[in-house]
Amino acid sequence: MPIRRGALAATVPLLVSALTLTACGSGGSGSGSGEGGGADGKPEGDITFQTWNLRSNFKDYFTGLVAEFEKAHPGVRVKWLDQPADNYADKLGADAAAGTLPDVVNVSPDLSYPLAKAGLLMNLDKEAAAAKFKGEYTPEAWQGNVLPGLDGSYSFPWYLNTGPLFYNKTLFRQSGLDPEKPPKTYDELFAAARTIAERSGGRTATLGGTPAVEDFGRYGVKLMNDDATRFTYNEPKGVELLTAYKNLYERGGLDPQALTNTPDKTGQKFLEQKVAMNPGSAHDLENFKKSAPGLYRNLGITDAPNNTGKPNMYVMGLGINSRSKHKAAAVAFAHFVTDRKNQEAFAHKVAVFPSTKGSLDDPYWTKDDGTDEGRVRVASAKMLKGAVNYTPVVLSEEMKTVLKNEVAKALQGKKSPRQALDDAVAQSNKLLKQG
Amino acid sequence: MTGVKRVRTHRAASPWLFLLPGLGTVAAFNLYPFLTTLHKAFTDARTLTPGSWVGLRNFRELLEDEQFWVALRNSGLYVVLVVPFTVLLPLLLALLVQKRIPGVAFFRSAFYTPVVASVVVVALIWEWMLDDRGLVNAVLRVLGAGPVSFLGDEWLLLFSAMALTVWKGLGYYMIIYLAALANVPRELHEAAAVDGAGALRRFTAVTVPAVRSTMVLVGALSSVAAFKVFSEVYLLAGPTGGPAGQDTTLVMLLQRTGTGLNGRVGYSSAISLIVFAVALVLMLLVLRADRRDGQDAQDGQDLPHRQGGPGPKGGRA
Repeated sequence: MPIRRGALAATVPLLVSALTLTACGSGGSGSGSGEGGGADGKPEGDITFQTWNLRSNFKDYFTGLVAEFEKAHPGVRVKWLDQPADNYADKLGADAAAGTLPDVVNVSPDLSYPLAKAGLLMNLDKEAAAAKFKGEYTPEAWQGNVLPGLDGSYSFPWYLNTGPLFYNKTLFRQSGLDPEKPPKTYDELFAAARTIAERSGGRTATLGGTPAVEDFGRYGVKLMNDDATRFTYNEPKGVELLTAYKNLYERGGLDPQALTNTPDKTGQKFLEQKVAMNPGSAHDLENFKKSAPGLYRNLGITDAPNNTGKPNMYVMGLGINSRSKHKAAAVAFAHFVTDRKNQEAFAHKVAVFPSTKGSLDDPYWTKDDGTDEGRVRVASAKMLKGAVNYTPVVLSEEMKTVLKNEVAKALQGKKSPRQALDDAVAQSNKLLKQG
Repeated sequence: MTGVKRVRTHRAASPWLFLLPGLGTVAAFNLYPFLTTLHKAFTDARTLTPGSWVGLRNFRELLEDEQFWVALRNSGLYVVLVVPFTVLLPLLLALLVQKRIPGVAFFRSAFYTPVVASVVVVALIWEWMLDDRGLVNAVLRVLGAGPVSFLGDEWLLLFSAMALTVWKGLGYYMIIYLAALANVPRELHEAAAVDGAGALRRFTAVTVPAVRSTMVLVGALSSVAAFKVFSEVYLLAGPTGGPAGQDTTLVMLLQRTGTGLNGRVGYSSAISLIVFAVALVLMLLVLRADRRDGQDAQDGQDLPHRQGGPGPKGGRA
């Protein structure tokens, strides 16, 4: 019988590993607010507060905030948690399914949408204790957290970010381009990219990645219909943009690995001076200074190309767990973190922008102090006035992958740009309908 | 009387008591999740909603999902192209380092290093080497060949990931073979040598039959591992699965559809059931092949101790 026993011995580990592999369940959840303590009582109790990748750089700021709040509200204890940048959505999903969503949680509108839809976040417009603070924020910021079909805003507006576009002045100069005149519109960008590819003999690409949904937005493509029930980026303008990118890819304007590059990889290629332009954030400046001083000396900073006159804006907010046991404390703390004084203090530490009314009229954001950072800050703050969050809140990670893959098929020449966008829209609409 | 009775119940219960911790763990962490997955596969569950029964809809949708067929093709290709290498190369490697010559321990550890190294680190090194401006292309350029876009072409990407899998697995399977080879009686080799068999003949007539059941084990382990491949392809081809997602494997698709706040848990459970079924079939096929081989071997060159009990074959399988 040795063979049979061998079969058994080999089958058991297989079963176990297959079982482990296939184990991906999820917890249930109902709906509803109104559980737990009311939001309009006196703030008291222990609450948890979760930020998104802020501990490493801003530990002192947040421990200071917590201490100050606890001092003002002796009955409240705040436990601060922080999650790393990657897989934040998965972490929130696991917490939500397990019923351990923090009382005050850092979200962006695309993250708050599925949570709110499942009834896990408080509708601030419907809760008097929260709605009374509405006037303290800019109307755009409050509106930016209103979710389609869910009748209200689900998070306190927090910091805003436009994200600068960095460029390599040396590479511009070598291609005969004026390093002080970076492209402002998409047409100028495509022209510059063609020149750089031709003059460098195809060795220098201008961009490391393929167009993302923000690019379609800034190009002036209508991404969705007005009630956010259907994607529309396959309209002629979208096809026009993708066709232009396809030409650019064929002429060497995009990195050869643009179809698979992640933001991390394009950042690395920019650092290695293989790519002439790269979108980034203010955090990157420090990194350039440390790891690529040669690049830092020749670093140009501009805004992402734009055909609409309205830049893209990333919006951060603080949501309240609708099942929090201490809603009054959670609302009070979320408001405290996002009030004018604390938002401005935070925005002085890192190049983000406050969403509170009147903050951007402060000299800090209106007067150029002569430094690189100051110049970028003032320029970006000025643009923020008309900024839009182009990324539709209903756009899930899977829909972003759909777009990226269909764009890749068009760039490879496997499909026409029109066909690729039609297919991407069809797949995304199907996902949206199921959702 | 009561005393006897007490002893009897005690005896009946005690094995179960000993088994309880193990069974409990398996039930809680393997059986329960599996049954949940089985149930979810027939619902439209999302990460945050339990969903309702939809019958076979997820499976019908899978059949229409272009990405699913691409993923099935890639995972299948992975088995077909990776397994022959992971069965044969480590055996040759084991033969190389089996000999007791000075310094061989160094090579044994060197070959085992990739197994211990983190797959993320290793994939990053490979990525750096295979980049359009990386080490491999620098060498090719010196030789006068144009740059090869290993990481830009869907097929080269998949083959690169396979090469990485084979390379990383070599040491692990080599250790298994080393253990098996240690049990091959030296006399057999000597007898064959006396009969005038060359190195190749000794390999096919002595070594291979002696380690056949180990080869089956390695084949079974590596085919299931290859079918479930995730990390290597994910790291080299990126989260979207290579250009236009053409390098997506089944487990990558499972991860992509089932995670995130709006993850389609029902749909990805359906995928995982299919992965489970295919892995099971693969395993049974390999074991069936083993049984047939075993019988052939018995019909041909009868090894008396094989009938009895844990001979070299049974002992190792």
